[in-house]
Amino acid sequence: MLAFISRRMAAAAAMLLVIGTIIFSLLIIVPGDPAELLLSTGGGSASAEAIANLRANMGLDQPVLTQYVTFLYNTARLDFGTSIVDNGSISSVIALRLPRTLEIIVAGTIFALLLAIPAGTAAGLRAGGKFDIATSAINALLTSVPGFVLGTLFIYFFAQILGWLPAGGYVAFATNPAQHLQMLILPSLTVGLHLATIVFRMTRASVLEMRGHDWVRTAVAKGLRRKRVVRRHILYNALGPIITVVGLQLGILLGSTVLVEFIYNWPGLSGLLVSAVEQRDYPTVRAVILTVSTIFIGINLVIDILSSLLDPRIRLQ
Amino acid sequence: MMSARNFPKRMFLPSVLLAALIIIPFSAPLITAEDPIKIAVRYRLAAPDLQHWLGRDEFGRDRLARVLHGGQVSLTVAFVATTIACIIGTFFGLIGAYFRGPSEFITSRLSDIVLCFPPILLALLVVTLFGPGAGTLVAVLSVLYFPTFARITFSEALRVTSLDFVEASRALGTPSRRIVLGTILPNIAGPLSVQYSLTAAAAITIESGLSFLGLGVVPPAPSWGQMIRGARQFMNQDPLGIMIPCAALVLTIYAINFFCDRLRDTLDPKGASGSGMDEVSKPLALADAPAIKDPDVVAVINKLRLETARFGTSAAVIEDVSLTLRANQCTALVGESGSGKSLSSLALMGLLPGAIRQASGTLQLRRKTGEVVDLGFLDARTLEDIRGNDIAMIFQEPMTSLNPIHKISDQMIEAIQAHRPMSKSDARAHAVQLLKRVGMNDAEQRIDSYPDQMSGGMRQRVMIGMALSCEPRLLIADEPTTALDVTIQAEIIQLLQTLRQDQGTGLSLLFISHNLGVVADIADRVAVMYSGQIVEEGPADQILRDPHHPYTRALIESMPSSHEGLHSAGGDRLPAISGTPPLPSARPSGCTFRDRCPIAVHACAEIRPALYPSADGGRAVRCLRAPEAPAGLMNHQTEAA
Repeated sequence: MLAFISRRMAAAAAMLLVIGTIIFSLLIIVPGDPAELLLSTGGGSASAEAIANLRANMGLDQPVLTQYVTFLYNTARLDFGTSIVDNGSISSVIALRLPRTLEIIVAGTIFALLLAIPAGTAAGLRAGGKFDIATSAINALLTSVPGFVLGTLFIYFFAQILGWLPAGGYVAFATNPAQHLQMLILPSLTVGLHLATIVFRMTRASVLEMRGHDWVRTAVAKGLRRKRVVRRHILYNALGPIITVVGLQLGILLGSTVLVEFIYNWPGLSGLLVSAVEQRDYPTVRAVILTVSTIFIGINLVIDILSSLLDPRIRLQ
Repeated sequence: MMSARNFPKRMFLPSVLLAALIIIPFSAPLITAEDPIKIAVRYRLAAPDLQHWLGRDEFGRDRLARVLHGGQVSLTVAFVATTIACIIGTFFGLIGAYFRGPSEFITSRLSDIVLCFPPILLALLVVTLFGPGAGTLVAVLSVLYFPTFARITFSEALRVTSLDFVEASRALGTPSRRIVLGTILPNIAGPLSVQYSLTAAAAITIESGLSFLGLGVVPPAPSWGQMIRGARQFMNQDPLGIMIPCAALVLTIYAINFFCDRLRDTLDPKGASGSGMDEVSKPLALADAPAIKDPDVVAVINKLRLETARFGTSAAVIEDVSLTLRANQCTALVGESGSGKSLSSLALMGLLPGAIRQASGTLQLRRKTGEVVDLGFLDARTLEDIRGNDIAMIFQEPMTSLNPIHKISDQMIEAIQAHRPMSKSDARAHAVQLLKRVGMNDAEQRIDSYPDQMSGGMRQRVMIGMALSCEPRLLIADEPTTALDVTIQAEIIQLLQTLRQDQGTGLSLLFISHNLGVVADIADRVAVMYSGQIVEEGPADQILRDPHHPYTRALIESMPSSHEGLHSAGGDRLPAISGTPPLPSARPSGCTFRDRCPIAVHACAEIRPALYPSADGGRAVRCLRAPEAPAGLMNHQTEAA
């Protein structure tokens, strides 16, 4: 087990290195002078002095290898440098905003799992039945609604028409817990519903496959209660494939979080990212993307370990 | 595989829908002459009128024109990017698959890396460097998606290249280029087209998302994402503004997904199948069963008829099957696959697949309490109490009959605790005892292993131990040795024999097999099934030494066995039974075996034989030409057919 975990951690670390390298080299392979490129907004070019400043600031005047080593070293220390725009420390901005993004993701994931696993199980157990046909049709429709469309429609219905919830904004939990949670509902619902469509699909397919296995017949033949057969011999077996797919889909989830935060004015990482992209603040963009990729790889590492705990065959390989 | 000549009906609707949603935006000039960019602030947010069917937006631009032209932009960006990704990816995948080596590594690893970036973030990264615009979008999306195409092409091509006909054409000296273009490409077209539509849908989502953020298509060029962005501020006064582009976007993505789903189903039809947990259909009508008087009788199957429960037509898969199972007796149910022997036993367990229904007949069981119940009438809860407790079952496939992700101990303990109020540690001790009884060495240690750590023979011992855990009165063994090595087979049979003698309570064993050699070793009585009916039944030694039914005789003669005394076929060739058994829906008139029978006569086509008992009542046979058959029936007899 320990060997398995360390093997997976080594693979994750290698992946991070590759991603860091790719993000680093994008700036190198860009045609022309990156500093000039980043400072050119709307066709106008920046002053020679500003370009030289930026070049020194980002270390672009150093040899490429030195730049690369410095970049890796600083990134490993979680030092992402300073923003081109306001010279502030990127690391501290991320440290401030990351928890807010994670909050939405965690709340959304919990909502998705609570909704989609029971629904997917029920649909899979009675595939072809009324419930299955209805939920699968709803699911196919929801799958086709991009996160930002869903968010926009939610604001229209829940905030504008019904007036039940605020259309967006953010209040720190410490300041006003009730209002904080109220404002959390719509963003996490939007993110969660999107994830729920994926989890539902996977749960249904996985349950449908598992319930046909011989061991389920054995479990029934043993005289186990139906509930127990479903829980222990169908759902438990289905969980591994479900979380693996969810892990792979998290990239899309993290991506849709960017748009969802933007829609609801939720000051997480994405507000930072979007304004940084608009202002061509490459160091900030790079830092946010590295952070998100690291989270993504970290989650997948945890999922790998979880599914090996669920399924001895993965460990025994 | 789908062919052009045979366009599947299920593809019709999604294809039409998708084609319409692609064609409509591009026929914009035919639909409206309005300019999507022309600003007329005076008419901002004007309601729909005859000239402007969908009204005007926040700058007074015609909304219909904007939706249509926006669709052109979204669709063009998505399909151009997807096409580029598909071509580049397929190219890389084919190279990787054909030449293997380092290119293989690149194609498979590349997609792992790209998958680590949330797509929209990678797009934002590139937009930061190159600035927004349709060209940037196309470039980003192609880079994002080509590794997935490469991976799919690679794995599909590997599968196809190993197929016989590709190896054959390579051996015939067909040039590589021809093999790739002529043979492999058409074969991987299916999975690729599924991926193509998936990617197109994802590309539209990303394009509109970026445009919504203001980082995609550059204004004033219209795009759906931008329209939603613009209309957001005015959603109170003008809800139509967000509804229209949202609907266009959702409908388009839905059409692509719908097409993709149907395409996948068409290319890879997978019916829901399986033995596990189906809904059991309720029997149609049940006759009152005669009461079991004899205390020795454990279960009685009386005139059982099972039908396929499909809409409209129903065909009998089991007809007129009657069997009496006694304590301390082993009854063997023999027949080739499809003869209905497993279904008969599953009916006793209440485990019939959902597509099969008990149409008539009764299944009676004397429970351990002495109470006689009719299995067809029981509620689910009582059936659960009976399964594993009064009747237990061992299945054919020990490799798949145990849940691979639970320890043996847990699976045995739950079987025990299902019927006995026992603490977990007591149940575990009981399980260890059971494993020792079925001949497992180191039972205390082995009980904590997983099924995958055991051999087939070991697993079958576990299954037997588990089946015996609650001391059932009836044990059904459905081909328990078929999947095992010959030496292990003998051990398992020996084990069953020993257990049968040890079990104090008088176990009745229903042994299902197509192997007459094994049956000769273990059975007291034999019932031979053919095409859903019992054709011969009686004491094992009598039936096997002196079969009266031509089918039984043929089975015995075709047996390669060390049981020399059983069959008379001399020489070194084994006679096979010619022909195949009829399908339940296409059984011939008269005797179901007559088409394959060497001694069939005309009468066999006219009279459906019943099960004729012998004079002493000890055995019975379903054949007009058997000695048991009433003499009068054969008046029709003229000559052999």
